[in-house]
Amino acid sequence: MFYRVSGQFKTSYESDMALFPVKQDAILLAFILALFYVAFPMMASEFTYKALLVPVLIYALAAMGLNILTGYAGQLSLGTAGFMGVGAYACYKITSIFPEVNIVVALLLSGCFSAAVGVAFGLPSLRIKGFYLAIATLAAQFFLVWLFEKWAWLYNFNASGAIEVKGHEFFGLVITGPNAAPITQYYFVLVCVTVVSFAMINITRGRFGRVWKAVRDMDIAAELVGINLMRAKLSAFAVSSYVVGIAGALLVFFWKGAAEPNLFDIPLSFKVLFIAIIGGLGSIIGNFLGALLIVALPVLLNLLPGVLGLEINSATLEHINVMIVGALIVFFLIVEPHGLARLWALIREKLIIWPFPH
Amino acid sequence: METLYQIFADPFVQIVSAPDFFLQVLWEGLVSGVLYALIALGFVLIFKSSRIFNFAQGIMVVFAALTLVGLHENGVPAWLAVPLTLGVMYLLALSVERVVLRPLVGQPDIILFMASIGVTMFLIGFGEFVFGGENKAMITAELGIPTGSIEFFPFGGFVLIEQKDLTAVIMAVLLVLCLLLFLNKTAMGRAIRALGDDHQAALSVGISLSKIWVLVWFIAGVIALATGIVWGARAGVSFALEVIAYKALPVLMLGGLESVSGAIIGGIAIGLLEKIFEIYWGQPLFGGNTETWFAFILALIVLLFRPQGLFGERIIERV
Amino acid sequence: MAIKGMNCLAAGVVALGLGITAVQADELYTPNMTYRTGPFAATGIPIMNGQRDYIEMLNARDGGIGGIKINFDECETSYNTNKGMECYEKTKGNAIVTQPWSTGITLQVLPRTNVDRVPILATGYGFSPMSDGDTFAWAFNPPVSYWDGASMILQYISDGDLDNLKGKKIALLHLDHPFGKEPIPLIEKLADKHGFEFLPIPVGLKEMQNQSAQWLQIRRERPDFVIMWGWGAMNAGALTEAVKTRYPMDKLVGVWWSGSDDDLRPLGGKAKGYKSISWNAPGKYSVIEDIRSHVVAKGNSMIGSEDDLNKVFYQRGVVMSMFMAEAIRTAQQKFKIAKITPEQMRWGIENLKLDGKRLEELGMLGMVAPFSMSCDNHTGHGGAWMLEWNGEQFAKVSDLLMPDRSEIEPIEKEKAKEYAKNNAPWPGRDGLACE
Repeated sequence: MFYRVSGQFKTSYESDMALFPVKQDAILLAFILALFYVAFPMMASEFTYKALLVPVLIYALAAMGLNILTGYAGQLSLGTAGFMGVGAYACYKITSIFPEVNIVVALLLSGCFSAAVGVAFGLPSLRIKGFYLAIATLAAQFFLVWLFEKWAWLYNFNASGAIEVKGHEFFGLVITGPNAAPITQYYFVLVCVTVVSFAMINITRGRFGRVWKAVRDMDIAAELVGINLMRAKLSAFAVSSYVVGIAGALLVFFWKGAAEPNLFDIPLSFKVLFIAIIGGLGSIIGNFLGALLIVALPVLLNLLPGVLGLEINSATLEHINVMIVGALIVFFLIVEPHGLARLWALIREKLIIWPFPH
Repeated sequence: METLYQIFADPFVQIVSAPDFFLQVLWEGLVSGVLYALIALGFVLIFKSSRIFNFAQGIMVVFAALTLVGLHENGVPAWLAVPLTLGVMYLLALSVERVVLRPLVGQPDIILFMASIGVTMFLIGFGEFVFGGENKAMITAELGIPTGSIEFFPFGGFVLIEQKDLTAVIMAVLLVLCLLLFLNKTAMGRAIRALGDDHQAALSVGISLSKIWVLVWFIAGVIALATGIVWGARAGVSFALEVIAYKALPVLMLGGLESVSGAIIGGIAIGLLEKIFEIYWGQPLFGGNTETWFAFILALIVLLFRPQGLFGERIIERV
Repeated sequence: MAIKGMNCLAAGVVALGLGITAVQADELYTPNMTYRTGPFAATGIPIMNGQRDYIEMLNARDGGIGGIKINFDECETSYNTNKGMECYEKTKGNAIVTQPWSTGITLQVLPRTNVDRVPILATGYGFSPMSDGDTFAWAFNPPVSYWDGASMILQYISDGDLDNLKGKKIALLHLDHPFGKEPIPLIEKLADKHGFEFLPIPVGLKEMQNQSAQWLQIRRERPDFVIMWGWGAMNAGALTEAVKTRYPMDKLVGVWWSGSDDDLRPLGGKAKGYKSISWNAPGKYSVIEDIRSHVVAKGNSMIGSEDDLNKVFYQRGVVMSMFMAEAIRTAQQKFKIAKITPEQMRWGIENLKLDGKRLEELGMLGMVAPFSMSCDNHTGHGGAWMLEWNGEQFAKVSDLLMPDRSEIEPIEKEKAKEYAKNNAPWPGRDGLACE
């Protein structure tokens, strides 16, 4: 009833392959955008920005980058956090060497650095596959974090080995540092994420996306039909690391405000991978759903006893929280191994034929 | 020029001029290697039989060790605590199979991998909930592990061997021998290997999937307990032990995911090489702490030449 | 600015909906970002028990401070910076002071406290340049900083004159992490000046349990002294290896976080002679008896056994909370109001003065060295003692050691300036009066 597709005729190939072949999808998307752009900012407190909205967006962006690589091109990577770190450190160096550079330019450039590093560590993927590749990407992970720790030039010889973010202005608005209003930071991140999402949706629908999917489904077959495997895999590494790098730079500049090398250690990689998998491999929207579950849910769970007026010791609460999240991950994997995006797709199909299922 | 000297000449000069120290380095490397191999063994067994890259092996080590120490703290004597801990590990294997594995049969590898991380998180929360986060001492003496040390004086220097480490090595060797015997000589062991080769063929000749999985996870639990005891004797038992799981990953890359002997040889090779590299190259040239990545890079280089690891099964691809 | 107005309104609604820590009108809210879980829990738990129990004792015995109850709320971070950020944002609205723990969380929170105007109390951690009150108006790290600690350790091992170290080799076994790297700039400078050789030996977070490479290096280099800057599981690992390598225990000196009874107890007599600097001296004090009768006996404490009350770390937690309580009292006396604001609390910490008389009233004479803070001294620099492990427990083996401030102050100023530059625009004191 709400999702009725009858009456929407496709009269040309273009309309059949359009971004939204069904009108309701576009309406739904507009609704979600309105939610993020208008409704949330109207109700959010500083805590909501800092602990829920901004992290969800940034994590979703990182997961999107990983999803390009793992979900579309089928190359499992556990080095995401390392590449995020490259983005963050590159952005830090660019802004400290050229302080007059606009922060947007710095962000875009820092993505290039992580893309280059990603391609370098992607080279083994031409020979190594599956879990062996996953463990090989761990080499990138551990090596990069070690480098952030040891290469003092990267953090400008800071005494405590950390990077700190200056206040940057963007057309007169302070957007980084402690003086930036959370709402401006939120909007900046939101716009970045929206732009990248649309770019990724279109890349994955286009030639590149199709090539990647062919490689994912069976690389030998893809090679036999004339796809250049090297180009396909390395381009996936490049695009993926670019997005991941930007997410890393956003993470430090627009959320944390300071970072130590440890931040980019392996738990972050796993967290991003979780988001991508729980959300749904090979899907863009899934990353957002996954981020809501993995990033926002624990925060909300932590608040729950306060709302219910229960007196639980915070350490116990944390234990229970970790248990619940672990159990939920297993639960969702059992219920729908293809992720929340697939769950949504099923609901949508049901809605289209509702209320007459036959 | 000086850098070149430091890279190509100085380490060897040092090795020759202080051979006793070099022997000590070798011994320490060997002990670390055996410990890495033990953890890797748990991974290999489970991967062999169920194609699950079981990330929970690390936390199972902590869990087993904590259960043992926790039971002892509550007045259970050591000789009883060990079988009781094994019982707990059996229950764990049983519930993992029932709750996690059975519903996920036949899913892609990556899903099972993620599920094992879910199990890891659950066990971390559960373990801290039950045992608390304090650092606990392993009940080394109560278990009858000698704590003294043996000293040699070769080449005018000294080499020191902890009896604790020696016990660890002997225990690991025995464990591996038993395991190899079990896998190769018993019906159950053959069933495990059959399952690893082909699930459906194994099922069709009457091998019970769920029974074997429980068994395999239980064996992994036994290995975890052994690992927990020897690591715990070195540095105490706490949740920080969980990170040792990462040390097993390059071992798996190097040795191959399916090979028991690969895990042993890979573990020892990595233990030795990373120690030698750290002492003679890492510390003078890179400011130390190269152990975090050396093993990975080494394994990566090996993989470039042998994509299935040194002892892994040859990957045959068909279209 | 209509949006902003609506924002405030809506923020209230959301805050209500999310139930952000309900605070009653008649209490002071002092959150503590604990880590009772995760790899560093072993170090955290005893200290946090001490912190909590002291406040519980004040609430039970005196009905709080100045007639107002203290709501000592714990927010669990597991030493994770994400959770630290979450805790800070969750609690800052009502908090009169924040205790971030972990250098990583402090790094993130520090710039924000200037804007949110909440003082940071980082007792015995944080970074050393925080001592410069002109730059870090809202941050305090009493009673001594890490650089003070390094200076005092060097003085102790050189018998009071650093020139005695000439030609000697001193290794720093440290966690490869901002906390562990903290003393390096100072020791490097002193090494140049006094002609001793300095050798930093990093321990990675993943190598904490297995430090054989580091200790092989120590065996090869044969340093005359090893200074240990360890945390959590690293301490137990290092001490086990030290025993194994036969490194003479009396040449091994740890920072105050490397002196936990729990790390040493498993080694027992084998670690005899190990030393750790500490700004609290363990012993029998009447304040501990008060905690025993008012908190522990009533089953209100989270400690495992009564034996914990004698541990160095537990008593350190008690001292930490005492600093906070005394700062609250100082502010209450000055502003003549029981429910003080964060800004008044800031004044209270900045003007905290602990002399022997006051410590005696508190039943803590000799537990911590007297010190006083001021506008340009946000650390106090009270000094510390050297403790030695006698096989069963730590005992004081030195007189009060004082840091060589003339060496430290210039670097503090320099690094504080550098920090302000890196975080430009940095407000500095920003018009806060100095009284």
